[in-house]
Amino acid sequence: MLAKNNNYNRNILLIIAVAVVVFIFLPSILSGYYVRIFTAIFMYATISQGMNLMFGYMGYLPFGNAMFFGIGAYITAILMGKGFPFIAAIPFAALTAVVVSIILGFPVLRLRGHYFAIATIGMSGAILSIAQNATDITGGAMGTTLPIIAKAPGIVYNYFYLAMLGLMVVTTLAIYFIVHSRFGYAVRSIKANEEAANSMGINTTFYKISTWAISAFFTSLAGALYAYWMSFIAPDEVFNVMIAVHTIVIMLIGGAGTVLGPIIGAFIIEFVSEVTWGGFMEYHLAALGIATIIIVFFVPRGVVGTLTDMVKGIKIALNKKVGVSND
Amino acid sequence: MGLQMLINAILLGGLYALMGIGFSLQWGISGIINLSYGAMVILGSYISLIAFDLLSMDPFISLILSGAILFIMGILIYRSLLQPLLKGGIVFTLIITFAIRLIIENIMLLIWSADYRTIRLAYAGSNFQFGNAFIPLTKFLSFILAIVIIYVVYLFMNNSKIGKGIQAVALDKEGAQAVGIDVQKMYMINFALGTALAGIAGSLWASIYSFSPHLLGIIVGKVFIIAILGGLGNIWGAAAGGLALGLAETSGATFLGSEWQEAIGMIIMVIVLLVRPHGLIGKKFFG
Repeated sequence: MLAKNNNYNRNILLIIAVAVVVFIFLPSILSGYYVRIFTAIFMYATISQGMNLMFGYMGYLPFGNAMFFGIGAYITAILMGKGFPFIAAIPFAALTAVVVSIILGFPVLRLRGHYFAIATIGMSGAILSIAQNATDITGGAMGTTLPIIAKAPGIVYNYFYLAMLGLMVVTTLAIYFIVHSRFGYAVRSIKANEEAANSMGINTTFYKISTWAISAFFTSLAGALYAYWMSFIAPDEVFNVMIAVHTIVIMLIGGAGTVLGPIIGAFIIEFVSEVTWGGFMEYHLAALGIATIIIVFFVPRGVVGTLTDMVKGIKIALNKKVGVSND
Repeated sequence: MGLQMLINAILLGGLYALMGIGFSLQWGISGIINLSYGAMVILGSYISLIAFDLLSMDPFISLILSGAILFIMGILIYRSLLQPLLKGGIVFTLIITFAIRLIIENIMLLIWSADYRTIRLAYAGSNFQFGNAFIPLTKFLSFILAIVIIYVVYLFMNNSKIGKGIQAVALDKEGAQAVGIDVQKMYMINFALGTALAGIAGSLWASIYSFSPHLLGIIVGKVFIIAILGGLGNIWGAAAGGLALGLAETSGATFLGSEWQEAIGMIIMVIVLLVRPHGLIGKKFFG
């Protein structure tokens, strides 16, 4: 059984490696429009992985996780406005998000279930207000600009495409290794039963805060890249609760608690959004709402979860048949 | 200045209290965090606008209409979308109600666009003096109506058979089932009562302020704060939470500037969540 699993994993890794190579060379044949769409897909997949680690594996829904996206974007914008190069601004952006998540995590992660979700919405709203009103630092509600790269737009877009792709791959690999490590078992034990985990000697507070910090880390990196990519950000855009909602839907569609779920979900949702934007823009919100309802009703475990169930079901059926013929 | 501010806070708080109660009941008793609540409030405002434009009906009368329409809508939404998913836990209700919000928001944008609308009542400008403070008539009327409606809801919950049934379900679901109460029906009536209160609050809102689909998110933020401040499913708690929010926002706007209004509410909510998760005056068994 173990050997089979390893084989299965090796096949999947091979497919993923091929996919990554294909995506690296894809921009040379795609038009600028699709390069932008793919960049957005990679970005949402990254944020959704942060959501997935928190909800899919630990069972805490961080409804206000957009605040780390916004923090990443704003710290990058502020530092680059002061003359820092992008590469130097990124570590500060990530560090700020991690520090904020730890400071907020101590009190907030004591709350369970929906109380936690609501508290993070509240904090996200408070940070949004600060970004809107601290005009001297953030540029206020009107937003702020970042330096534009002085190169042809095509090259710039390819650069961000590759950067987002890289971020998504790194995030996904990190989530994979985290989930399959000792740390990951502790995290999953919190989802299964927090009291039991605690009484087994797992320091749940430490694991909960670390997990949120990891989630914040990757989300803020996506925000930093987004800010430089757009070269203009506004508070109600980067701190928008809709970002979190979007990534929750992506995670659910792909399959919460699966490593590849967020990526697959991001592809599905972004293409659906693009089609509805292009085809019937006025109904775009309603289309997203109806799609969400359909998903929750018919594929509540997500695409990856449902497929895994089907594969398992087929395997069990096959095993049964073999068992019968052996008799 | 002091008296005027206090009166403004109380008048605003009364409306907030009414707005928060429906949300608090839905969350605390039916176990549904209704993210479409803001959309339902503004829908009530638009119903009053239609009634005013077509029949020149006063919002203080057309609130009956909003309440009735949203009550039926609540029943339909609960039966078709929410009841089948309650097993999936509260997170699914968050996602489904957000989807409902998106659909309602889209319909509103198509019909009424994103512009702010106002109902221009003939007596909108009139006010009367109390001490050295001025009280606008529309605000005073909505405050009185809000208090009356809250009291009616309280009487319904404590004296009618259905209201007692809802309370029994909130206290002990299995126990209520064992004595022959239709649990799902109670949840449904409670949810629809919540949406009806949202519609009524929307009509009152429309008599004072202008409204547009932009307000959906802001209203949901406010009712969250009110429900958490008061303790979930607790009528007087939500009323107190509404008054507290009105007071906090008004005094915050006076002392810090109106741009900090929303941040103040959010921060108070987070602190209350951390310190007293069952609300300022809430009892634990409702949560």
